[in-house]
Amino acid sequence: MGELENTDFLSMDRRTFLKVVGAMGASAFLGLHRSEISKALELSKTRVIWIHGAECTGCSESVLNGRDPDIFQAIQKLSVDIAYHEMLIQQQGIFVDGELASTSELNSEIMLDEAIEEGGYILVVEGAIANGPDGTGKYCMYGERTFKELFTKAASNATFVLAIGMCATYGGINSANSEIVDLMDFRGVAFLRRDPSKGMLTELGIDRPVINIAGCPSNPDWVLLTLAAVILGKIDINDPDPILDEFKRPLVFFPENVTLHWNCPRRGYYDIGQFDTEFSGDACLWKLGCKGPYTHSDCALRKWNGSVNMCTQAGSPCISCCEPGFFDNSTPFYKNVQTVAPSNSETDSSFPSNENNEDTITPAAIGLGATAGATVIGSAAYAARRIVQKDDNKKEMDQ
Amino acid sequence: MTNVTIDPLTRIQGHFRLSTEVNENGVITDAQSSGMLFRGLERILVNRDPRDAARITQRVCGVCPTAHAITSANALEDLFGIADQIPKDALVTRNIMQSLNMIDSHATHTYALWLPDLVNPAYRDVFATADNMGTMLWRELLHRFAPLSYKIDGISIPPGQAYVNAIKEKRRLHGSIALIAGKMPHQMSTIFGGVTYKPTVADIGKLTYYHQQLMDFVDKYTLGIDHSTWLDNTYRASSPQRAVEFVTGHLQELTESSMSSNDFSYSAGWGDIDMLLAFGSETIGEDILGLPVSFKFDRTGTYSDPANIGFLSYGAYYDVENGDGYDPLKFGQNSFHKAAFITGSLEHKKFDHMKITEEVSHSFYTGEGDDHPFDGDTEPVRNADEIDYHGGSQSKYTWIKAPRYEGVPCEVGPIARMIAMQEPLTTGLMNTFSDNGHPAVNTYIRMVARVQEMLILLERLIQWVTSDLDPDGRFSVPIDMSMAKDSQGVGLWEGARGALGHWIKTGTDSKVSKYQMVVPTTWNASPRDSNGIPGPIEQALIGTKVSAAENMLGIDNSNPTGILHTSRAYDPCIACAVHTIDLRQKDGKGERVFDIV
Repeated sequence: MGELENTDFLSMDRRTFLKVVGAMGASAFLGLHRSEISKALELSKTRVIWIHGAECTGCSESVLNGRDPDIFQAIQKLSVDIAYHEMLIQQQGIFVDGELASTSELNSEIMLDEAIEEGGYILVVEGAIANGPDGTGKYCMYGERTFKELFTKAASNATFVLAIGMCATYGGINSANSEIVDLMDFRGVAFLRRDPSKGMLTELGIDRPVINIAGCPSNPDWVLLTLAAVILGKIDINDPDPILDEFKRPLVFFPENVTLHWNCPRRGYYDIGQFDTEFSGDACLWKLGCKGPYTHSDCALRKWNGSVNMCTQAGSPCISCCEPGFFDNSTPFYKNVQTVAPSNSETDSSFPSNENNEDTITPAAIGLGATAGATVIGSAAYAARRIVQKDDNKKEMDQ
Repeated sequence: MTNVTIDPLTRIQGHFRLSTEVNENGVITDAQSSGMLFRGLERILVNRDPRDAARITQRVCGVCPTAHAITSANALEDLFGIADQIPKDALVTRNIMQSLNMIDSHATHTYALWLPDLVNPAYRDVFATADNMGTMLWRELLHRFAPLSYKIDGISIPPGQAYVNAIKEKRRLHGSIALIAGKMPHQMSTIFGGVTYKPTVADIGKLTYYHQQLMDFVDKYTLGIDHSTWLDNTYRASSPQRAVEFVTGHLQELTESSMSSNDFSYSAGWGDIDMLLAFGSETIGEDILGLPVSFKFDRTGTYSDPANIGFLSYGAYYDVENGDGYDPLKFGQNSFHKAAFITGSLEHKKFDHMKITEEVSHSFYTGEGDDHPFDGDTEPVRNADEIDYHGGSQSKYTWIKAPRYEGVPCEVGPIARMIAMQEPLTTGLMNTFSDNGHPAVNTYIRMVARVQEMLILLERLIQWVTSDLDPDGRFSVPIDMSMAKDSQGVGLWEGARGALGHWIKTGTDSKVSKYQMVVPTTWNASPRDSNGIPGPIEQALIGTKVSAAENMLGIDNSNPTGILHTSRAYDPCIACAVHTIDLRQKDGKGERVFDIV
């Protein structure tokens, strides 16, 4: 146990991490560090400013579902001060004849400005940032200013930015292809889809360390454990990149070489080549369009809502909601991935397209290492069957 | 005249602005409600595989995704022509998921979003006029309902007991949905043709256990008495009058035993709804119970002209008594929530979805003017200078459109549904207000109706779980993709916040050509129409007094509680309400003809 206190858990490899957290419960794990904080006492309250752009509040809802730690435990054990969160605070923006009225105890705009001016906080961003029309950002307004202006001010004074959910990280639903996508011009904090040059921070010329927590919504563990690691100094916030992938996602939750498919509860059916072709069955969902083999997340191990369930366990094909480029990457959701032509090829190079023939679903794509011999064999067996089933697939697609 | 603007209105979903004019008597004389975000989600559905709609439309709202998933599935099942074949057990499963989501949304709104309004510092001063009783009551309110990170006069107030416990129950409710839906928010199992998951006997056991734990919370905190006793004497009362008599009798007992001790705690029997019922209303609290002070919520948020308002419910929850299938166009006739249009004079009329229209004269969209508002394409304003929220009620001032039913703005949500099903406690309290010369619909009754609906649904839910759900049943039927060529579908349903409709059309390539959502907050937070008639929230604000307890301690424009309580009581969800495509409706003479621009 003593060793654990010194363990940098986001640097641990996935297996060790799951073993540790699984065995102790994340709450106990975080609790261990509390004495550390109390002793040091250099960390007084960590202030968190949480702002909402173009979003659905699903990520806030999801974070409220966290347990071990839940949001209140996180606040107490980690000494977090939620300095601003529009859904949780008593205050609201109040203007009398155009002037800000009252004080920060009643007026959320004064509260927010005071918190930003104080500086030294973690900025949590939920939702995309509107840049349209014509770079004005007026498609999303908030308290007599554009959300773009608010983001600019809040990001400039933050020590660190945590983008949560697909909208804030990569644009999400707001940036999905449509006739008006360029007009709206929504941006993620540090990326637009897979492109870091179009992230809003780059657009604004602001240089701040960023961690992206993907997912639609983000799993509460991903958010709260990352916040905990930052607050406990387990991540060097000035240089978080060593524990992140190229899309700034923590590798421990979004492993580069492992996909959801590896630990899917239905994996056994894949290995023996049993596939559902209609919903509400028990077998592998791959022929129903499951994107699990292309999705780098620990959903299948961590699961959702207190580990009661997850998408493929509930019979629903994975829609790859934590890969940059979601939704265009993974739509149509219910078409077998090997026969899907991506709707925007620049956004989804990791996804197989028509040009990639069926053999794209190789062990490498599925994320199998050389050690997983048994499953490689299973996969090879399936590859042989696929050749036989190819015509059937085509018939389905032609429907 | 003073301009008092709330921007942003917090403790709701999304970015919402309320601009009001307040006269020298502290009465709101004009109001504009503005949705501050343009998202364009319906455009995103165009040219996609229609089957994806039940996933994509959930991203409209992380608070009520289940309602969007089911409404979208209804529209798709109409499009594919399979609504009459959907297996009964899939429909039961959807009913369970939807009722859990509705209960969850109501509990969240009541405990985390609205009740913190009761600890606005203005009420410390209001209750101080009632001496020791008022002081003790104020302490109890803080102890229960204080939100996160709250300070008064520089002193931090810890989050209230009811607030903290309700968030834990919310987590349990989301866990219950995830058990049969994969995850929550953005559930995964509702799909065209049924549901993807077959609930097991173990799931039924777990859901029953979760339900027992929820009821423990309800009995201990929300009601203070056993929920069956409550529902037997209110929801199942022999008349609206008897329901009110039971409640006032119950409150009278509590009041008598607490007035000398000034003990308003849970252990003295005061449930959270008792606090709201007794102290929320001047008529119930002061006039009937003889309390020295009240919040007077029954005097705020009223409608002044019955001709300019209606109440609308599309109906919801599948009627699973008759086995497989449902009729998407006769939805709600035999279902738990009734489909109805109720006039401002509370006259019940038959609902017909063909009477729904939308227009954009005061919304940031281009389009033809007042004479034929449903002709012509609707496009978002592209010139940034035209996006201005200061132009007053003659201008364009919101991203929310103006839906109307037979030309009338409608309030949707729990109050509309409770009136539609003629729920005895709700209608009884409304009668009590009318009989005493006050408007029947107000902020108080909106909140009571929401809590009462939550309680009724909690009871109904467990019947679907334990009596109707057969784990050995069928849960989905296949679709024929060829049916998606040149087709159309309508999905009607009720979300937690009210009437929700999705309309879909597909082209010869079987892809989506049009998709339209008319959502609850579009109704409630509607702007003016081309006739200048304000939307429901705007109407409710006009005439409301700006400061606490009917300006009891004078006018304080810098703490405009009247605006806050009134608008929050509608549980606005702005991400849902802002959308881009106009519904153009042809005169179908009762036929199913509609077009989406």
